[in-house]
Amino acid sequence: MAEMREPTFLVLTVLADGPRHGYGIIRDVAELSGDRVKLLPGTLYAALDRLVAQGLVEHVRDEIAEGRLRRYYSLTGAGLEALRAETARLRQLATVAEARLRAVNPRLA
Amino acid sequence: MSRLERRYRRLLLCYPLAFRRARADEIVGTLLELAPPGRTRPTWPEGFNLVRHGLRARLGRPASRTVVAWAALASVLCGLFAGAVGVRLGWATARPLPTAQETLAAFHEAFPNYRASEIESDVTLFFMTWRPFRKDEGILRGLDTFYQPGATTATVFHAPPLDHQQIMQTAQDSLRAAGWSLYPATPVDTAGCATCQQTGEPRRYTMSATREDIVLILEVEALPTASADLSVSLGRTTPWPVYPAGIVIGLLAAAAGWMVFGWASRRTQNRMAVQVMVTFFYTIAMLAWIFAVTFGVSSALPRHLSTPRPRWDPMWEWVGLSKPAPLVLFLIGSVCALLALALAALPRLRTRQARQGATA
Repeated sequence: MAEMREPTFLVLTVLADGPRHGYGIIRDVAELSGDRVKLLPGTLYAALDRLVAQGLVEHVRDEIAEGRLRRYYSLTGAGLEALRAETARLRQLATVAEARLRAVNPRLA
Repeated sequence: MSRLERRYRRLLLCYPLAFRRARADEIVGTLLELAPPGRTRPTWPEGFNLVRHGLRARLGRPASRTVVAWAALASVLCGLFAGAVGVRLGWATARPLPTAQETLAAFHEAFPNYRASEIESDVTLFFMTWRPFRKDEGILRGLDTFYQPGATTATVFHAPPLDHQQIMQTAQDSLRAAGWSLYPATPVDTAGCATCQQTGEPRRYTMSATREDIVLILEVEALPTASADLSVSLGRTTPWPVYPAGIVIGLLAAAAGWMVFGWASRRTQNRMAVQVMVTFFYTIAMLAWIFAVTFGVSSALPRHLSTPRPRWDPMWEWVGLSKPAPLVLFLIGSVCALLALALAALPRLRTRQARQGATA
């Protein structure tokens, strides 16, 4: 699979915690990223469509709350595996970067 | 329904109908939950984001990373060819070609010491003459055409020997005094080509000038017999409606190209056999159109760079529609595009089977 973009990684991370609806995903992504990544609904639903087409996310149930339709999405087995692989890749990169920083200046690492 | 919800739903019109039927309530619900109390209009970023992703959703294939590029290519080429049609429509607003009297007057302004021996008037602003097909010349040669912008031309043939520089200087002074805006004189070869390799001292010069909506092209040619030919041609400058017509029709066609590509893309997803055939015809169409445009640009660009001119060549020359070979390529591309659309329009097998089952 091609390299995962940060918003995709964050969406998958949010869904790893359990099924979420669109608003819940946007709110949790903002929280996880310290308000750095604010997904707009157009972007979120395009990402969800793509992830559903790739088999990483699935639609699990619908709910009506305050007269509004909420559609819940959750990670599939393949989605969990993709998130695991991306996390390992990022961890490996972070470890290498930390090692090099420590070599340059031990106090910085 | 609140005013804000109505406005969000209006923005969702950028998405295809089937998508809206399935997802509009969900997306609008999320948008309304995100909106702070009291908001009555979508924000600009929200609006832009919905339009952008709506246009992307029109292409279907959400997991594809290349479909946007293919749609953009089809859209740009449709826009270019339709823009050329718009430019032609804009040219329909130009006044008719200057009369023989106006041309004679301009000739005498440029060459006060000479009297025009011949005057030739084209009927239309642009014309194309189809040469009769000859069996021994092959298909493309047989389709050869003689295309050029129309003009009214006054000429004096076999004038007494003259000095190029002197006659050009006299013509420039006289025309400037008569209110013409002049462009620099350029040496051309005997076929009128400014970019072709020239051997020896140039014997032919051309120069353009404009006044009001008239373009004047002056030519001075010294012949080997030591006599000279002098000519003045009058045509029209580009009328202003050409620009809005070309831009508006081009943009509309580009948008239509995007929509039609999206329709075909959505209709062919998950239909492997149809998709392979549609992709084949789409590829041929795009290659043919790209070659046609490349042919047009590669012939028009050097001409424009080498000769100072008061008006751009019309857009159909830039996209290759004025020459037989690229015109044939354009037609081949158009036929392939129509075939691709016809294949995409074929009903799905499941739908056909269901219909047959219902009638049985």
